[in-house]
Amino acid sequence: MAEAIQKKLKAEVEKYTQTQKDVSKSVSARQKLETQMAENNIVKEELDLLDSSNTVFKLIGPVLVKQDLDEAKATVAKRLEYINGEIQRYETLLKDYHKKSEQQREVLTSLQQDLQKAQGLTPGKV
Amino acid sequence: MAEKGNTNMEHLGGVVRLREEHQKVVQDCESRIQHWKKVLADYEALDDRLRTLPDQLCYDIMVPFGPLAFMPGKLVHTNEVTVLLGDNWFAKCSAKQAQKIVEHRMKHVGSQLDDVTKTMKNFEARVGFAKDLESMSANTGKYVDIREEVGNYDSPATKGKQRIAHKPNSKPKMDVVFGLKEEDEGESGDTGSRKGVMTEEELWARLDELERLEELQDEQDRLSDNADMNGEDTSSSSSEEEEEEKEADAALPVNGLSLKPNRSSVPHSTQPLTERKEEDYEEEEDGSCLPTIFFSHTVEPKKVRINTGKNTTLKFSERKEQKEHSKRKKKNGHSNGHSHHELHKITTPADIYRLFVDVKNGEPIPRKSILKSRSRENSVCSDTSESSAADFEERRMIGRSFSHDEMTHSDTSDGITEEDSPTVMPLQTPSRFEAFSGTVVEKDPMPTAVPHLTIVPPALPTILERKQEEVAPDVPPPEQAPKRVSKFKAARLQQK
Repeated sequence: MAEAIQKKLKAEVEKYTQTQKDVSKSVSARQKLETQMAENNIVKEELDLLDSSNTVFKLIGPVLVKQDLDEAKATVAKRLEYINGEIQRYETLLKDYHKKSEQQREVLTSLQQDLQKAQGLTPGKV
Repeated sequence: MAEKGNTNMEHLGGVVRLREEHQKVVQDCESRIQHWKKVLADYEALDDRLRTLPDQLCYDIMVPFGPLAFMPGKLVHTNEVTVLLGDNWFAKCSAKQAQKIVEHRMKHVGSQLDDVTKTMKNFEARVGFAKDLESMSANTGKYVDIREEVGNYDSPATKGKQRIAHKPNSKPKMDVVFGLKEEDEGESGDTGSRKGVMTEEELWARLDELERLEELQDEQDRLSDNADMNGEDTSSSSSEEEEEEKEADAALPVNGLSLKPNRSSVPHSTQPLTERKEEDYEEEEDGSCLPTIFFSHTVEPKKVRINTGKNTTLKFSERKEQKEHSKRKKKNGHSNGHSHHELHKITTPADIYRLFVDVKNGEPIPRKSILKSRSRENSVCSDTSESSAADFEERRMIGRSFSHDEMTHSDTSDGITEEDSPTVMPLQTPSRFEAFSGTVVEKDPMPTAVPHLTIVPPALPTILERKQEEVAPDVPPPEQAPKRVSKFKAARLQQK
């Protein structure tokens, strides 16, 4: 009886750790996105300050490719939107993972209690 | 004790860890600040370079050729700069435009730096607190525990019945029953039996007792003021005061003044003894968690409290308050002129009566409470609003003389009372002493032989009325008694 509970407990613990990992992953991804968003904001501002006399380049690999100013602005704006969307997605994911981890924690505690009861019983029995 | 020690160790461990964590954050902040400062320095150098670059059309430079070699070359197009905007975007700008961009960035860096500095300061403060906490729980450092033993005082005879502890910031209901006074009127003054019969001495004792109650309140005020001055939270200090004994945690700095009145002594206030001495404590290293200061009350009935009615008022509470205020202010380096503002601060219900007074004849006369019935005005009531200034003065002086008298009884005297003493007129007192010594001011034309009750401006106006009820020898006391019997008096009557 106790052994069965222990096995269950182990399985639950594994699941819980998995969920925790997912949580941390999504958190770090979200952080990256945050920094990217900040950077793109700065770029957008700078591009707004420039006028058409300056040429804009984009670094693609080792190559600096000439870009149109308006094109560049549009591209940066699109990228910014994309990043925002990604952030939202990751936030919802994070919430889900959080909930899951809570549930699993509860399961774990109940299992632990069962285990303790069982263990408490068995010495008595013996 | 051992258990306490164990918990202390745990606390200590926890506190140490807290401090370490805070320390880590502080270090982190420091490193970040370093980083940002470096960045700022770099940008400044860049700014300089951009400024000077367009000065010449071309420069002769040594161009780095790989990591180990240089080659002589020329720097041309000195005004064209390709700037990295971020995220792999570049823009070709003139040197001036580049400068503008650099300025932008420097601003941004500056704001980051400010944020980090703020956080660091915050955490430094927290580290400080954690350190203090640590030292406190480790029984070291300058924080001491102040304790006062609540002994069963050896003084015999509780005068009157045991008092109920009042809620600390409410004005204690001074329903002192002095009804017995009416019966004692025929008796002589100074000595008498201690039980039940209210002799003059007991009267004084009772007065002192009630005076003490108000002292407690004043102490609260003082403490809260002190707390304010110490930059502490008033509410926290007053809440601290409300504890029966102090708890060690909060860093209660030991200055000579911040002592907590021992609340448990309030119910024992039947002893007229307790007087708080502010500077009078002994420091003891207790075996318990904190170094403890034990202080004991000194016996000292000091202030004059002419308590003559169901509503006792601290007779010279206004005076006392002023003095305490001025003392407080002096201690804080203010001039006495500021005591005036102190007086206008309302902290207890008593303050309301003190503040809202009618000024008549240059003297503040307390207003009557609207809750009090007017019926007594027809009887031996005083007319609070019409008392003359002369009468008032007279009463005041009498009161003071009482205080002086009080002092003669006491063993030690408080500094505040001593301030009163110079104004004492002892000569008046003895002749006027009767069972109830006070002046009655009445609307009815009464013979001036009737001693006048002293009016205390800050006092509840109703006190006057009550005083008169119980005092006036001419007025048939029994008539009054049935009408208004305070619970104290009733209790005493029952005891009898």
